[in-house]
Amino acid sequence: MFGRYKRLWSSPPQRPAYDAVIIGGGLHGLSTAYFLASRHGIRDVAVIEKRYMGFGGSGRNTAIVRANQRTPENLPLYKEALELWPVLTEELDFNLMFYNCGNLNLAHSEAALKAMRLQVASAQFHGIDIRMVGPKECKELVPILDISNRLRYPIFGGMFHPAGGILRHDAVVWGMARGASKLGVHIHQGTEVTGIGVQNGRVVHVDTDKGRIQTRRVLNAAGGYSADIAFRMLGMKLPISVLTIQAMVTQPLKPILHHVVSSGMYHCYANQTLKGEIATGAHMDPWPTYTTGTTARYIKHQAEALGELMPCLRGVKFMRSWSGLADMTPDMAPIMDGNEPVRGYYMDCGWGYFGFKSSCVTGKYMAQYMATEECPQILKPFALKRFEEHRLMGETAALVEYSPDN
Amino acid sequence: MSRLTNLPTLRIRPGTPISFRYGKKLCEGVEGDTIATALYASGTRIFSRSLKYHRPRGLYGLEGECSNTFMRVDGVPNVPAEKTFLRPGMRVVPQVGPGGLRWDVLAFMDKMSWAMPAGFYYRMFHRPAALWPRVIPFIRRAAGKGVLDADFELPGRCDEIYVNSDICVIGGGPSGMAAALAAAEKGFRVILLEARPWLGGSWDHRISLREDGTPLFESAAQLARQVEESPLVRVFRHTAVAGVYPERVVAAFQTGGPSDSFRERYVEVRSESLVVATGCTERPLLFEHNERPGVMQAGCAHRLAHTWGILPGRRVVFSVGDDLGLEGALDLAELGVEVPCVADVRWSGQDAGLLARMREKKIPFFKGWTASRSMGRKTVKGVELKSTNGVHGRRFPCDVLVASAGQTPVTGPLAVAGARLVHDDRTNFFLPGNLPPGMHAAGRMLGYMAPEAMELSGRLAGLGAVLDFGGRTMDVVEEMRETEARLGRPPEGCQFVMAPVKGKKTFVCFDEDTTVRNVNQAMEMGLDVPELIKRWTAAGTGPGQGGIPGHNLPLLVSHSRASPDEDPRPTTTRPPLVPVLMGTYGGRNHDMCKRTPVHALQEAAGGHMERVGVWMRARRFGTEDHVRKEVANVRSNVGLLDSSTLGKFRLHGPDALKVLQRVYVSDLSTLREGRVRYSAMCTEDACVLDDGVVVKRGEEDYYFTTSSARSGATAEWIHYHARYENWDYDLVNLTDAFGVINLAGPRAREVLEKMTREDVSGSAFPFSGYRELMVGGSIPVRAMRLGFVGELSYELHVPSSLMQSLWEMLEEAGRPLGIQNFGLEAQNILRLEKGHVILGSESEQRTTLHDLGLGFLWSRKKNDGRMVGLPALQRTEHQEGRLKLVGFKMTDPAHQVPRDGSIIADRKIWGHVCTARYSDALGHPIGFALVKEPFCVMGARLPIYEDGCQGRLIHGQVIPTPFYDAGGERMKK
Repeated sequence: MFGRYKRLWSSPPQRPAYDAVIIGGGLHGLSTAYFLASRHGIRDVAVIEKRYMGFGGSGRNTAIVRANQRTPENLPLYKEALELWPVLTEELDFNLMFYNCGNLNLAHSEAALKAMRLQVASAQFHGIDIRMVGPKECKELVPILDISNRLRYPIFGGMFHPAGGILRHDAVVWGMARGASKLGVHIHQGTEVTGIGVQNGRVVHVDTDKGRIQTRRVLNAAGGYSADIAFRMLGMKLPISVLTIQAMVTQPLKPILHHVVSSGMYHCYANQTLKGEIATGAHMDPWPTYTTGTTARYIKHQAEALGELMPCLRGVKFMRSWSGLADMTPDMAPIMDGNEPVRGYYMDCGWGYFGFKSSCVTGKYMAQYMATEECPQILKPFALKRFEEHRLMGETAALVEYSPDN
Repeated sequence: MSRLTNLPTLRIRPGTPISFRYGKKLCEGVEGDTIATALYASGTRIFSRSLKYHRPRGLYGLEGECSNTFMRVDGVPNVPAEKTFLRPGMRVVPQVGPGGLRWDVLAFMDKMSWAMPAGFYYRMFHRPAALWPRVIPFIRRAAGKGVLDADFELPGRCDEIYVNSDICVIGGGPSGMAAALAAAEKGFRVILLEARPWLGGSWDHRISLREDGTPLFESAAQLARQVEESPLVRVFRHTAVAGVYPERVVAAFQTGGPSDSFRERYVEVRSESLVVATGCTERPLLFEHNERPGVMQAGCAHRLAHTWGILPGRRVVFSVGDDLGLEGALDLAELGVEVPCVADVRWSGQDAGLLARMREKKIPFFKGWTASRSMGRKTVKGVELKSTNGVHGRRFPCDVLVASAGQTPVTGPLAVAGARLVHDDRTNFFLPGNLPPGMHAAGRMLGYMAPEAMELSGRLAGLGAVLDFGGRTMDVVEEMRETEARLGRPPEGCQFVMAPVKGKKTFVCFDEDTTVRNVNQAMEMGLDVPELIKRWTAAGTGPGQGGIPGHNLPLLVSHSRASPDEDPRPTTTRPPLVPVLMGTYGGRNHDMCKRTPVHALQEAAGGHMERVGVWMRARRFGTEDHVRKEVANVRSNVGLLDSSTLGKFRLHGPDALKVLQRVYVSDLSTLREGRVRYSAMCTEDACVLDDGVVVKRGEEDYYFTTSSARSGATAEWIHYHARYENWDYDLVNLTDAFGVINLAGPRAREVLEKMTREDVSGSAFPFSGYRELMVGGSIPVRAMRLGFVGELSYELHVPSSLMQSLWEMLEEAGRPLGIQNFGLEAQNILRLEKGHVILGSESEQRTTLHDLGLGFLWSRKKNDGRMVGLPALQRTEHQEGRLKLVGFKMTDPAHQVPRDGSIIADRKIWGHVCTARYSDALGHPIGFALVKEPFCVMGARLPIYEDGCQGRLIHGQVIPTPFYDAGGERMKK
């Protein structure tokens, strides 16, 4: 029925020259490679990954997709991303398992409702399917919610975003890698980039532990390690703090939770995967670190929060927790930029814990950027220069506390 | 089935029956039984059906490593029956779909495995696109095992306990106990965690004799007595370790017995040194149909007999890989079980004594043979044995097949603590290549199998833990050296064996039905890293996590890989090491909120209390309509507000002023004693971080307030920005030491005058003044004249212990004047009318001082060139395209109060409404909005798009602020 077990991607030896080199075999890198090859005919591309495909954030996120961002700069990007998943499933001929279950964000105070109303208004204005819901409707959507006053922070209402949902994150990684590889992109796992060569303000080569690659285009899409690479190899200091963010899953259950539920006040979100596990994540550890360890405090915190919001879940067992790196910028919005200050050097980083949702669409536009050397209009607000000009993006309304110098 | 009743190792009380419900049947076990042993004793062989192929599954092991025995117990899904002890009246329901355990209607799936290779779902169901959404409900229903009711409430009490000791020992087997005793002997406090309800570990069920003739179980009991008698050792039984975290934090959970006050409790242990002596578990043997009910591990069969008095079967074939397996075969034969043959995958290395007993009992023994296939329909009816090279083969009928490839260490606690596990060729174990500081490993997990060696190894680790304390005395070092010398190297372990079969139904992972063939398929597809194989085949991602596959997958991959010389690497182990109920993790989940000193008074006065950050605060005193009355009373009379949540700090010392100058935008060198200055702090992006008032109480002595939400964070931020200066100052957090009463309204002064003999007239105590008064005779009050709500008002800072008295006295004095409480919502309207901002309501993270219109606070003459945010304040002052704060009213005064919408023009968003309320004082709605040019100029018309408006805009108009009492006569009078 399936014929031979064809390799998902080929791993030919590293060539001495490529049209473009992409640092990082995560979703952003792979999807940029895929779009370079499929939309711009640039197929002589190498994706260099120190570990293996999807080792970093791409394999560690909770795979939630949504387009209920706050600012007009972000909304169109995420909206397009949501629309792109079914298209990519078709195009890659790979089931990305897009489960369009909808997202319910809970408000536990008048102030949170107010913030949500603004978000809903902005999203509706951009044509995104989203609406405010009262506590009763929250309960109808998620019958296991406790909407009584027993809660420390009772539920005042929420916003429901039917267009959102979840995917299988590994499937997206593999689908993209396979798609790119089919078009001729080279995937080099277990290969570390050790340097970026610059001459006369232009990228000329990339060094890896397997040898030198002549190239005039390089994309830094190394997630948690992107700031380190930019600094070590080009001396660029990016305003990025790296923090860990933890997630965990319970043992699989028969269907009980039919939407993604999230609560800012309780610092948690949860959804039931197609396998039946309740996957849940929280806020970041409040200090910068590159270790991907978990902490005793967080899994306890998750249990306290979920057990209060959805009391029946107290009878479910956590079976696995893990953590990944979040590369946080001061305004919790990414840096997508290129040719500044080095021509041919592009970066797509600072995604923090939002990197999964928009990975496909970012790849599409970064590929366009790299192919045409012209920054697409939709990416312009994400330039690094905004920090120099003190123009933060406003994706988060509140002050963020993850580094003491915010 | 009758039980063996006269074994010395039994852990049951055969005379005390316990009845429970299993499905619709009433069943019986005895005291000391687990659900699984009771069911097994009563003849149950099929415990569940597998996830993908719906194959029957039975009792395979007793360590809870797979989901074979998962049942729903008293409403809790996925309960491992072999680790759950029987309680009277328990309701146990097998987790199975239509048809039941014996006649599962989906059993045909087992024949469909050709259609479901590894990762098949990634290549199916997505074409045509309309198909996938229809498939999802089927996938969801098919996936998952346990059923949880939406209204389920976890019965019993979940507790939590935080304990510490000098040394923590994980594992109460012989090595762990020896370690604990060694440390206690040297005078250190020890906490010993044991997962089973009793100490003894692998010796508990063994009757083999030691060199001195003592049976092992007797030896274990002696050790246990010593441990229990030691005043320095605290034992937690039935406590399974879930995680080990940096700095040796051990998270475990304890299951309560009938006499405990808790159902389960979360146990968090902190210690200076950690000994891990978790022993071994069995490596599953890989052969065709290696999980058919009736196939079980050697330890499982052995313990069923010796611990629970149950003979696992009548005719039992053994296919084992180590001496423990042989010992089990002999012990079972001794009890009357027919053992037609014993196969051992090893060619040599067996204990001579065991071989002699085998000959004595005339048990046919096959060296270098292994089970290659189990036979039978639902349960085992026979087995095919083969020589490991696949040349010879024989079949034996049997009703139980004991299959084990030998021992493999339980390294979970070491792995999650950060030890790097490397493959050791001698033992064939993954052993810690490095141990994090303060951690020690001991016992069987290091490969020491002989009784003497296990104790020595434990003792060595215990002494090592003692050394971590700087208890480095010559005798300890000397003793360690001697112990180490006697201990020697661990013996050789057994090698990885895969029966000579193709592996179509050789299961690597039971939970996910992953076969050896699936693993090979994944490798063919180019996924040759164990982690990727795990993700692609799902092996080890099921409820038992790495329990079954963790031991074999890395070796299997390394054996089949193109470059077999590459060292096998284990897949990552992640906490929790055993699945833990959310209810248990949650524990008591107590609410750690703060209450102000007048919380009770406010509640009694009808206060509608809400959590605001860490505090409980009164939003209003009555229904929502009551807010208007509260507002009106402050405007016309006098009101009382509890503002105790404000951050309050004393900053003093020779360099105190320098600190203030560094973080505040104002020039505080000009602040005189007796005056209050409102100011703000900005980030390096000139964004407003915090605001509040500063008072100079004396030379080098300041008192300042911060917003409620940020008090601690701001203090930290201040230290951060002074960190390299070596300044001499102290910052004291007085937030909880002082309460704050805001006495506001045109008659506020009358109230205060009644309470104090001091002159509080407008001339003696003017606006922006600061006085330290004695109020009500003996209450020292720090009083400030401020005007946040826009009326004559006093902010009275009082020591917390005296605040309630002062509050009651003020109410008493103000009663004839109509004094009333007002809450946060009233304050919000009052300050909005006055045009005062609340950070977070009117400001975003990116809002600068200039954007808020507070640029006048910034002093350019100040002489600290390193003031935080200075360059940004300069650069952003005249920057275009920023969101600026404006006040607005609705163009149509009869219009409703706008909700929180966006300002829209030319199909673009230009800003948004921050706060809007109806103002009784002005007779129309007013609000603040953050908007870009050209909308931030006076008189601009703001088209507002609200949620659900479907394109129908409402309009506001920018007007000057303050909306109310623009000249400030009322608050300054």
